[in-house]
Amino acid sequence: MTGTNDPTNDEMLVETDVSDGLSAAESSVTDDAETVIESKDINVWYGDDHALTDISMEIPENSVTAMIGPSGCGKSTFLRCINRMNDLIDVARVEGDLTLRGKNVYDDDVDPVALRRRVGMVFQKPNPFPKSIYDNVVYGLKIQGIDGDYDQIVEDSLKRAALWDEVKDRLHESGLDLSGGQQQRLCIARAIATDPEVLLMDEPASALDPVATSQIEDLVEELAEDYTVVIVTHNMQQAARISDKTAVFLTGGELVEFDDTQKIFENPESQRVEDYITGKFG
Amino acid sequence: MARNSYQTLLNELEEDVLYLSELVAERVRFALDALEDKDERKAEEVIEGDHEINRIYLDLEQDCIDLLALQQPVASDLRFITASFKIITDLERIGDLATNLAQYAIDAENDVYTEVDIRRIGDAALDMVDQAMDAYESEDTELCHSVAERDDNIDTMCNEASQTIVRDLMSGSDFEGDGELDPEEFLVDVRRLLLTVRDLERIGDHAVNVAARTLYMIDNDDSLLF
Repeated sequence: MTGTNDPTNDEMLVETDVSDGLSAAESSVTDDAETVIESKDINVWYGDDHALTDISMEIPENSVTAMIGPSGCGKSTFLRCINRMNDLIDVARVEGDLTLRGKNVYDDDVDPVALRRRVGMVFQKPNPFPKSIYDNVVYGLKIQGIDGDYDQIVEDSLKRAALWDEVKDRLHESGLDLSGGQQQRLCIARAIATDPEVLLMDEPASALDPVATSQIEDLVEELAEDYTVVIVTHNMQQAARISDKTAVFLTGGELVEFDDTQKIFENPESQRVEDYITGKFG
Repeated sequence: MARNSYQTLLNELEEDVLYLSELVAERVRFALDALEDKDERKAEEVIEGDHEINRIYLDLEQDCIDLLALQQPVASDLRFITASFKIITDLERIGDLATNLAQYAIDAENDVYTEVDIRRIGDAALDMVDQAMDAYESEDTELCHSVAERDDNIDTMCNEASQTIVRDLMSGSDFEGDGELDPEEFLVDVRRLLLTVRDLERIGDHAVNVAARTLYMIDNDDSLLF
């Protein structure tokens, strides 16, 4: 890793400073205040497999950035670099700089657990815990020892996840009794209960029916008012509908084009991107 | 994931738009012949053929809607379909103008202002349509600009023709010089001639529209649309 390690930059990521990390994050200032995540020449290997090659991009604050590309192109791998989920894979090796508000998330003094509190994640398949709706939402707060008005946090999180009206009378029923779309929104509520800055979504609607999908899409756009959302999707129309910026990864773990979504889908620079999004190859 | 059937649909749309343009150009040519030769049979053929043009236009419009709704095209495919969607409207309107010209050929009672060369203006307008469709088929941006530049030429020809007629009417020389012509009939023929000039000028305008949409289709360049 070649990232900078300015101790004044972002103390919340340091293991000893978890409890008041958010205030430190809010006060941190970078040269470009609108860039939340910046990657410079990120390379990832799974053993000998070079999964990502020299990925550089800047993800702006309070926006939706979509990552599209064929299977195996590395888009989910990149997503997992942002909150160091690749650390959980023994053979994974990451090189390059990936900064969150100017602080390299791969610096030795960064606590991955604290990082993941700032960078929440929602997965392809809804994965509520076998607990009540209420306990699902406060789960992250409890295991991290964060105190607060849990009732209020549950209500706020469920409202932000557009689920409150549907579950407010049965908060103590099992989260597993909800429909697939509701379960996914519950997972979003759980992710935002710890008040992260960034929400990573790995194909959050691919297992849902069209109605639940459109609810998630509406929700993603609303969430971008408060959070920076990075979403991996196989559905190019979904990327076109809900994202502000689009990154196109192609085979070989290469980021071929990163630009405003409108530009990508109306007049991409790269012929390879043009061929991919128009279905001429993939 | 090559979408072969989708590519086939795109190719068919292009072929059908080109077919419509050939049909429309043929109708304009027939209408100009009818005007020149006072050939009522040819003129009626143009008028009756307008139904066919309208039917093809509506079919192509539906094809574009289907492609947009079912295939969700993007990038160059999106520009091709949206440009084609607009171009077929211009072609259909050129077809309507051809029926106008054919109707003038049927209604015309007398030759008035024979010095106004309708055939020359008509051929110039038709050539612009052909050139715009060549640009569409061959994706030639230079041809698009060339069509737009030629519009000034046809506007000038039409203005000169109109001025010739209006100046002469104001002087009263033509009417006074032909004692056998009924004044009402003469004015109806003159009005028809002015409408002919106006319609030919509009065909040129539609050709420029086709070129402008084609330029957008090729290069995402909307400079000719304004």
